[in-house]
Amino acid sequence: MAVAAPGYGATQARLPMLRAGLWLFFFSESILFGLLLTTRFYLLGIDREHVDQLLGLGITSILLLSSVTAFTAETAIEHNRQGIARWGLIATIVLGLIFTVGVGFEWATAEFSREEAFGSVFFTMTGIHATHVISGIGILILVLAQQMRGKYSGENHWPLSGAVMYWHFVDIVWVFFYPALYLVS
Amino acid sequence: MDIFKIGWTVAAILAVITVVEYIFAVNVANDTVRFLGLAGAGVGKAVLIGYFFMHISRVWRAEAH
Repeated sequence: MAVAAPGYGATQARLPMLRAGLWLFFFSESILFGLLLTTRFYLLGIDREHVDQLLGLGITSILLLSSVTAFTAETAIEHNRQGIARWGLIATIVLGLIFTVGVGFEWATAEFSREEAFGSVFFTMTGIHATHVISGIGILILVLAQQMRGKYSGENHWPLSGAVMYWHFVDIVWVFFYPALYLVS
Repeated sequence: MDIFKIGWTVAAILAVITVVEYIFAVNVANDTVRFLGLAGAGVGKAVLIGYFFMHISRVWRAEAH
């Protein structure tokens, strides 16, 4: 049976502030990603180069699916279902890695260069987003390691929830980047 | 299981919106209509993820002790 970790009460008391802090972080990150999106339309209007549509749709589906597995992990830990939470985290990490490989493949096979305006915008947007995905994978691995050591329970799981929320935020960013880079025009 | 049902329901809706978004982008010729349609789909997906997966409503909710 999971035992509440030391400092559990203090964490619970600070939970509203922790949540608000995380959302403020998301807000500041939104400014960064919003500026990148603005740059894309300012420089190129709705024009774009040829990109691999199938690959774009594929990696988008994988990232959306990873949000479901992350949600499953969080819901499972809220109900103290440790096994499902573990597999939800593992699935999210694997799907994140597949997404990253997909972006890498797109970079390797791109028909435009970084010297062109579209290439510059495309590599910057996908690169910064992929950096966030990779850091998200790292955070999820740390959370998974803690979960496997029995650090979280139904009542005490804020680090896992925070990591999953960060993952969802990265997913939301891609929801806007995907049409801007692959579908517009 | 019931506790995971909402996640898979939202996932199914997100999948449908993504496919519709793709078909819409490929088939609509008018630039303004396509841009607005894609923007609307993006906002719709973001709201679904923010509300159901990120629990944005909890930010304003006091914790039960």
